[in-house]
Formats: sequence, C-alpha cells, structure tokens
Amino acid sequence: MALASIAAERLARQKHQKYFERHLLILPSKYQDNEPNKLAIVTYALIGLSILGVDTSKKYQGSIAWLLEHQRHVSYEECSIAGFIPSLSTNIEEAPSLSLMSTLFGLWGLICLGARDSSVFKDIDLQGIGQFVSKCQCDNGSFVSNFDVLPSSEIHRSCIDPTDLRYSYAAVTILHLIGCRKSEDFSRYISIENLIEFIKTQTGVNGGFGQYNEAHAGLTSCALSILDMLNDQWDCLSARFFEQTAEWLLQRQVSNQGAMTLMIDKNECYDPEDQGGFQGRENKFADTCYGFWCLNSLSILQAHTDVKFDCGNALSDYLLDSTQNKLLGGFAKNNEDDPDLYHSCLGLAALSLNADEFNGTLFLPRQLSENFLVPS
Amino acid sequence: MTDSLFDAGDYNYDDVKALPISSDQPGELCQIMYDDEYREVMGIARALLKKHELTERALHAVSEAIQLVPAFYTMWNYRFQIVKQLHGNDAAKLNAELDWLDEFTLNNPKNYQIWSYRQALLQMHPNPQFPRELPVLQSMIDDDTKNYHVWSYRRWCVNYFQNFEHELEFASDLIARDVYNNSAWCHRMFVLKSQFNSQPPAELLTTELHYTKTAIELAPQNISPWNYIRGIHLEFLNDKFDADIITFASRFTSDIFESPASPPQILSSYALEMLAYVYAQDPSTHEKAKCAYQALSDNYDPIRKNFWDFRIRSLTA
Repeated sequence: MALASIAAERLARQKHQKYFERHLLILPSKYQDNEPNKLAIVTYALIGLSILGVDTSKKYQGSIAWLLEHQRHVSYEECSIAGFIPSLSTNIEEAPSLSLMSTLFGLWGLICLGARDSSVFKDIDLQGIGQFVSKCQCDNGSFVSNFDVLPSSEIHRSCIDPTDLRYSYAAVTILHLIGCRKSEDFSRYISIENLIEFIKTQTGVNGGFGQYNEAHAGLTSCALSILDMLNDQWDCLSARFFEQTAEWLLQRQVSNQGAMTLMIDKNECYDPEDQGGFQGRENKFADTCYGFWCLNSLSILQAHTDVKFDCGNALSDYLLDSTQNKLLGGFAKNNEDDPDLYHSCLGLAALSLNADEFNGTLFLPRQLSENFLVPS
Repeated sequence: MTDSLFDAGDYNYDDVKALPISSDQPGELCQIMYDDEYREVMGIARALLKKHELTERALHAVSEAIQLVPAFYTMWNYRFQIVKQLHGNDAAKLNAELDWLDEFTLNNPKNYQIWSYRQALLQMHPNPQFPRELPVLQSMIDDDTKNYHVWSYRRWCVNYFQNFEHELEFASDLIARDVYNNSAWCHRMFVLKSQFNSQPPAELLTTELHYTKTAIELAPQNISPWNYIRGIHLEFLNDKFDADIITFASRFTSDIFESPASPPQILSSYALEMLAYVYAQDPSTHEKAKCAYQALSDNYDPIRKNFWDFRIRSLTA
C-alpha cells in the first residue's frame, strides 16, 4: 500500500515530519557525543522527510553550500583524494578526518537537497572520491573508513578501523552514487574480485552473512546490497545458498502463532507482541531497524531466487502499531523505548519499501534514486 | 586555570592554546549546543593533534576527549599514533594501555571502536597474552550475553592466538545459563569450522550432536540448536541424516504424519522443519515432506505460509 494511502489515524505524518525537522534545527548538548556522526543525523532526518513527501530540496536549499563545505581534498605523492569530514565544527584543517561513512552520508544528504537539479554534483570531485574509496580497500578485499590522522606524504589506512561489511557497503554505494554502474566502472577504483572473496568469508552456515559464522541481518543487507549494485557477481555463491539466505531472513520474522507460543515464559528474548516484526539474529527481540534490513534483503533476493514470500504487511502492522510513537512522532527500536532518529528513519524506510516507493539498496526514496543525475 | 573544566591530571598544558570549535556556519543543519566542558576539552585535545604532539600529556588529553565522545574516531586514531610512538615495543606500557581500555570498555559497552582498537594494540604488542584478554571478555559477556562485538572479538582472539582449548566449554557455560543464547551456539560452529581444517574428528561430531540433543530436550522450540544440528550435517556429514536423528526429531512432532487431518499438539516446529527438509531430499519420502510443510503452513508456523507453500510446490516440480 502506498505510504500516502495509509490512513491518517494509523500513520502520524505531521508528528513524524516535526520530529525530523526538530533534528535539523538546534540540538541540545546531550547530542554532542554524536558529533562524529553529525552528517548521519542530517541525512537520516532528510531521508525521513523525503519519505514523507516533503520536498527537502526546496525547504533546505540554503544548506547545500554548507553541506558541500564538508568535502575536502588531500594530496598525497601517489594521488589526490576527496571525501567528506563529519563536522565543520571540530575539524582540524591541518588534519582533516575524511571518512568513508561521512562521505556516504554527505552524498546522500546532497541528493536530498538537490535531487531535481543535476548540477548538485557539479562541485563534487568524482575522481577524488573514487580515489579515496580505492585507497580504503585492504588487501583482503574489505574496507577501512579512514586513513591515519597524522599528515604524511603517503597514504596509511587506519589500522584501528573495523573492516566489516558496513564499510564495504559504504564503498560500493559511494561508487554507485558517483556514477559507477558496470563492473568496468567499479574496477577503475576497486578490486571486485578481492571484495567478492571477502564477502564469501562473511557467510554463515545457515545462509546469513556476518562475522565468524554468526549471521546478522544488518550485515546480510550490506552483502546483498553490494551484490545488487555490482549486479554481475551473483554466481559467487550457489543458488542454493541464496535460497538458504532467503529462508534465514524469513525466519527472522517474529510470530505469536502456532508453535511459536511454546516459547512464552521460556525464552527471555521472546515477546508475543513482537508479531510481524523482524529480529536481527536468532532468539532476539524484534527491532524496527531489522524490519528494514530484512525486508530490503528479501526484496533484493526476490529477483535472484524462486522463493516466494509476503512478509511486508505483517511488518507494517508491527511498525505502525507497536514501535511508532504517535504522540512525539518518530519510531522506537521496540515497543518500549523512546523514539530515536535512526529507528524513525529506518521504520519509515521499511514502510516505504513495502509500498515499493523506496530503493533499499541505495537507501533512497525512489523519487530521489531515480532522478539524481551524475555528470559524466 | 582554577575554574577549568578540563582535568589536566599530572600534566601541564599552560602553553597549549585551545583550538576553538567553529560555530555560526551559514546554512548549518543540526547545530549542536556544546557545553563549556566539551569546548574546553576538545579545544585542548585538538590543539595537540594539530601540533602532531606525541607525548604523555597528549595521551591524557585524548583520554579526556574520548570519555566525552567515545565515537570520535579521529581521536582514537591519534591515540594509537601516540601509543605506537611512545610505547610501541614496551610490553608493560602496552599492558597499561590495555588496562585503561578495559576500564573504558566496561563503562562504554555499546561502543564498537574499542574492539578494533584493541586488536591493533595486540598486533603491536611484543608479547600478547590471550589470558590477559579473558577477564574483560567475561565481564562484557556477563553484562550482555549476546553482544555481537564482544563475541566477534573473542573469536578474533581465538584465531589470533590459535587457542581453541576452552571455547566449547565457554559456550557450554553460556548455554547452561540460557539455552536460547544463539551467539553461544554459533560459537560452537565457529570452533568446529576454524579449529579443524574442514573436517572435525568424528568423535567430536558425535559428542556435539549428543550435547545438542540434550539441550533440545530441555527446550524443544529453540531454533539455535536445531540450526546447529542442520549446520553440522550440511558442513561435515554431506547433508545426510541418519535414522537416529530422524527418530530423535520425530519425538517432538507427535503423530503428525499419521493423523495430518487433525493436527496434534507438537513440541517443536523446528523439529518438523528438519524432518520436512530431510524427507524432501528423497523422492520416496516426498509425501511426508509435503505433509510436514502443509502442517507448518496451516498450523504450526502460518506467518511463513507463503514460504512453506513454495516448498511444497518445489517438491512436486
């Protein structure tokens, strides 16, 4: 069902809009420990508003220059790179802390601010950003998000960064956003072969993706989104494996029907009220954000396996009835907590994805993902 | 600086001119109202980074900054550069850094940067010790028995030190506390897959299957041990299920195959799924597989009805 046709008494649109708008204004000091994620805050709020149908490019036009200022260029002996810093406030000009994650959030934010105008990318150093992504790839195919902070004539990847699938997802998505579509485009910057080898090390026995054999719905969504963007690498794992992946994902939907009620009062992480929601791993409570990660993963797989399923409407009911906060606006992680920005964005994204109005792979509303133009 | 909000500890920063936080940016979105402590601490730590100062007092200032903003990866990286420069080859000093990190970790359980920072420290350490890592791992797991980052770090250590000796026992302790702990069950599979070069000894597989059956008897409607059984078969037993395991699973599905028309109360839908999976492998038992999938679809797991119906169609195809 289109998001716009969900009844007003079920989806508190106005409240959600105000909730996101508040996050773009002035935030109290309790948010200061989020400084390194500031572009994430901006972008989750902008994407949330876009999902609700707000024309963010009109409303926040005056912020394009500010957002673009986060793009920095650094020259090394071997090449010049460009990327986004997380915050102008705490940046140190002599040691700009470009990160893959800030770059991804920065590009997403720019698309929200100017999607209908192809010139929004004209000030983006596409080649420099591609080089940055390129230099973040490790020998085993995975990615770091940062370089060492002390200035140097050579590039040193940060050796304290995690290298899980999140950064691989960020790397490939950035390349897509700057125009890479075919293998040969991606291969200009990264080794697809090494990346695929890395992804294969992140598979679990039961079909999910994660670290050290523990499958995780968020990391599974990262892996499948990467394969979706690369498009011609689906034969890296067997058709049977992907069928298992679909089954593993479907099993993450929590139910209070049939034999599942046998867990009541026994499994401390089982709540019958989670009916329809998705958990991130086996025997965990449902969580708004995993609704998105699982639904996105399944939507991608739908095109690549014969598996049939229909889990989106029960998920929508769970989100609308259990984790939506109709009083304050926003969505919470579960049916108990207060709403937060991340789960608000992901909750709406899941509803929008279920309505086929959201490109889950690129994490953008369709009206944005289909309209932004990259100058070639 | 008597009214300073920056705790200088044993160090002197009088010569450091704080680097101000820039504000009043035109068009700024989500403008954060920093408090005075934040401005002061960040001002000093960033001023030292700007000078590339790699000293003990810089390390202290970075600690103060990280306490305020645990996700500040720039400061973590700066911290690592300082530690490398000052203590790079000094086991005792690196242990002191690990002590500091233990304390920080216990106070910031949700931060994930600490774990990769920790890995980098151990990789730099001239004489790293797995036992040194165990207390903090134990405290963190006690606090949150399914913390993904903590389990991942433990597995990284096990691989790094190539010490699998206590891992099955460790997982068993956690499973004894909560038989539904999926991380602990996954840990068993991690051990089987990582310790042995593709094929664990047959006796070990037998003990593992026996252990898992006992856990299932305690709580039959528990997906984790059933996944483990299926995983063991898929990875190490050519996906062939013997009569014993079929008999075992059948104990939890009542007389479903005899009287599918009047669905009985069963003890585990996961037992039924496994039977359906096994019966689907052989055309001569496809009728039974169909019966099981139909029962899952209609009665025992109707939320996944479309999927079970798909399975039935795949059988006849």
